[in-house]
Amino acid sequence: MSTPEIEPVLQVSEYLKLANQVLKLNIDGYTFAIEGEIFDYKIKDGKWIMFSLKDENDPAAKVGCFATTFKVSGVFEDGMRVKVWGPPAITKWSNFQIDVQKMEAVGDGTLKRAYELLKKKLEAEGLFDFARKRELPRFPSRIGLITSRDAAAYGDFNRILNNRWSGVEVLFIHVHVQGREAVPEILAAFERFNLLPEKDRPEVLVLTRGGGSLEDLHAFNDEQVARAVFGSRIPVVCGVGHERDESLCDFVADVRASTPSNAAERAVPNRLDVIFEIETMTRQIESRLLDTLSDRQNLVDRVTQLIFSAADLQKEKFERLAKNLFDRVNTWLPRLSERLNTSVRVLASVDPKRVLERGYGIVTKKGRVIKDAAELEIGADIAVQLSHGTFDAEVLRVNGKGKMKLV
Amino acid sequence: MAKKSTTNFSQAFDELEQITEWFEKGEADLDEGLKKFERGLELAKVCKEKLSEVENKIKELKKKFEE
Repeated sequence: MSTPEIEPVLQVSEYLKLANQVLKLNIDGYTFAIEGEIFDYKIKDGKWIMFSLKDENDPAAKVGCFATTFKVSGVFEDGMRVKVWGPPAITKWSNFQIDVQKMEAVGDGTLKRAYELLKKKLEAEGLFDFARKRELPRFPSRIGLITSRDAAAYGDFNRILNNRWSGVEVLFIHVHVQGREAVPEILAAFERFNLLPEKDRPEVLVLTRGGGSLEDLHAFNDEQVARAVFGSRIPVVCGVGHERDESLCDFVADVRASTPSNAAERAVPNRLDVIFEIETMTRQIESRLLDTLSDRQNLVDRVTQLIFSAADLQKEKFERLAKNLFDRVNTWLPRLSERLNTSVRVLASVDPKRVLERGYGIVTKKGRVIKDAAELEIGADIAVQLSHGTFDAEVLRVNGKGKMKLV
Repeated sequence: MAKKSTTNFSQAFDELEQITEWFEKGEADLDEGLKKFERGLELAKVCKEKLSEVENKIKELKKKFEE
């Protein structure tokens, strides 16, 4: 170098910055994943995740990884096989590491293990509690449907819905149910429904898809999606996979359906059942009303009967009294007349007129009947009543004393 | 529209249930019973008509970030 040039000098931090720029330009951490096995997995302050990835085939090869709990959800532990995405970076302490933006478990064993660990964690946090499960409206008028329009689940759900019930407005948000876009799209759908003004908001949300491998179902086992189901202010029906499949969303949902068709069955009642119920109620109130009517009729009958029988009783009593009276009178009257006749006879026999008729006379002195001659003195005036007529006389002789009779 | 008619269905059904309960309690007021009976029949008719008439409607919503 003949021309004198000022040799560039970089400070340490500038150098690190340059190196990082070069790394980022040349290694795009978002277009491929780095796969390896986790070791030294640590979470600091509940926020910072630090671990190393090692190569199975070359145990000596390893790379440090850094992540935050905001970006990486799920539960991981040493020994798990994972894929990570993210740009490389050199720290201030010259440690080379991957700045992990996204991380997924790999392989059935690891997926299963990650699933179990996350399930345990969410359960411990109370996301599966039965006490928080909300009841669905019996006759929903608006249902929010989150699934893929290309999936069989979409057709199944709507077919069963139409078979069973009518008058529902289905608000549908199309999402990918597997693959990279699935989780953010499902999260966005939940947000969209929950942010609708109350008058437009569905009364129930249905999150559904058909069956698949654990890897296919990853969105339904994603921690963020599970929390979105948990946090939804609209009750959620979750129907994932076939009968046997389970997902974390199933456990968190207010109602767990076994399949997309079953999700429709859980969301709306069956028209025929409801018609039967309406008919049963109609019959019930009809027969109750008839009961009431016949109760009334019986009451009226009974009262009428009572009144008549009371009248009969009175009449009977009166007749009995009358008969008694007549019986009494009949026995008493002849005796009375007999006594009367006797009295009449007696009276007749003592009538002084009858005595006079036989030729007797009644002697009175100054109106007093004289029964003893000794009561009379000679020369007294007396009156004598005969049967026919009266005459006055003077006493001449009493008991052989006085003037002698001249005859 | 769908909202309106089904809300009515739900309300009509609820009222029908209340009337049935009233009768089950065995209150024997004949005048009121007759009135409720007539109302019940009317509600049952309304509910059945709703069930035979209305179709389900599907309306697609865009996700928040697509708007």
